[in-house]
Amino acid sequence: MQHDDPILDQAAEWAVRVGDPGFADWDAFTDWLEQDPAHAEAYDRVAAAVADAAEAEAQRDVVLPANDEAPAAQPVMRRWMSAAVAAAVLMVVAVGLWWGDQGVQTYETAPGETRLIALDDGSTIDLAADSRIALDPDRPRLATLEKGRALFTIVHDDSNPFVLDVGADRVVDAGTVFEVRLGRKALAVGVSEGLVIFNPAGQNVRVEPGQLLESPLGSSEVSVHSIALEQVGEWREGRITFERISIAELADELTSMSGLTFRAAAASAGDEVSGSVLIAPIRADPASLGPLLGLSVRPQGDGWLIEAR
Amino acid sequence: MTAQASPTGLEAAFLENRERLLRFLAARGAGEDAEDVLQEIWLKITARRTGPVASPLSYLFRTADLLLIDRYRARRQADRRDRAWSDVHSGATPGVSDAPSADRQLASRQLALLVQKLLDDLEPPRVGEVFRRHRIDGLTQRQIAEEFGVSLSTVESDLRRAYKALASLREQLDEV
Repeated sequence: MQHDDPILDQAAEWAVRVGDPGFADWDAFTDWLEQDPAHAEAYDRVAAAVADAAEAEAQRDVVLPANDEAPAAQPVMRRWMSAAVAAAVLMVVAVGLWWGDQGVQTYETAPGETRLIALDDGSTIDLAADSRIALDPDRPRLATLEKGRALFTIVHDDSNPFVLDVGADRVVDAGTVFEVRLGRKALAVGVSEGLVIFNPAGQNVRVEPGQLLESPLGSSEVSVHSIALEQVGEWREGRITFERISIAELADELTSMSGLTFRAAAASAGDEVSGSVLIAPIRADPASLGPLLGLSVRPQGDGWLIEAR
Repeated sequence: MTAQASPTGLEAAFLENRERLLRFLAARGAGEDAEDVLQEIWLKITARRTGPVASPLSYLFRTADLLLIDRYRARRQADRRDRAWSDVHSGATPGVSDAPSADRQLASRQLALLVQKLLDDLEPPRVGEVFRRHRIDGLTQRQIAEEFGVSLSTVESDLRRAYKALASLREQLDEV
């Protein structure tokens, strides 16, 4: 990048001015943009870099130390990485060392909020909205999902597999990207990469990429069926897909994901629906859900009522 | 939150200033997306999920600006993901692997650390703190000037410095 780039200087100046909540001189800003298409391009670059950075800084608070030993191998030596990035990865280990022991830590998200938890070994956990997970820094390869759902991207270690407890069930990774959802009635485990073993000491079921395992809560019954790979963790892109779930479950799910309140009308709470929807447009216009799924969706009290038509 | 029927100040401001917004969107580089973005703004204000705003016109322009920044970020993110994808899939064995394609999550954590270091290293140290107070804690530039006992123009120049440094960092990372 060049040192003296007058357009970049101006773009930074406008980004600072526009960024203040009191900014009102939109005509002058429009005039500057109209002078040269390169202005808008430079402004986008600066504004996006600043937004990325602010988001990264805000997220930094959740970087979690989970291991007292430096991991044997980092899975991050990819070709595209610069030396600077590699150095930054080493810093993660250092952060882990400063923290020391502090017992089990619980991470919880509010409806409409998601969180990325980074583990020392390079593994990450994407916690979906309205979910809770407990992690013990002293036992970095063990986690307990207490509520909701999460996507696990786990750096595999044959001698020390990652173990997730969900209620009475146990999920063990074998080199993996997988998602676990603790629903109202059932536990679901979907795998997009690698392999997961469900209850090795019990049913001992292998779940492979493109498969979804479901087990009703409090039962040892297990069913496995195929799903599209891109469905695993799709909520991170703001989408949910559901097949034959009750309207009551749909209302729960939408409430968690959107942060708005949805309720099922008593008479149709048990009716089943299937579909795939993006959350952001529904948050903007909840009634738009109706035509999408062939349901009636209307405001009621502080939320929205979903009813069969 | 209650649904109310009377038209809000925002809707009136939107209808009065539609052309101005379109001109802004065009200048801002929205191209064919301009009408789309306009519709998105309309949906947003008519869903009445926003509280009363002090300056409806500024609110509309700001919403438009932020939507375009989001779109730009989403495009860049998709580009990066495509590159990471082709990287992972050149020479990697399908099926069980011991290095999951966690590029995206790793990349975001790495960015967090690089940003932290960049902000910590800016001189004088006030520059990084001013940036955090403004962009993370949401203080206005005037409030920050008071807090740090400096002039408003110093706060602005600190922020410009931080913004340019962050833009360079982003550029470097994308060139790798």
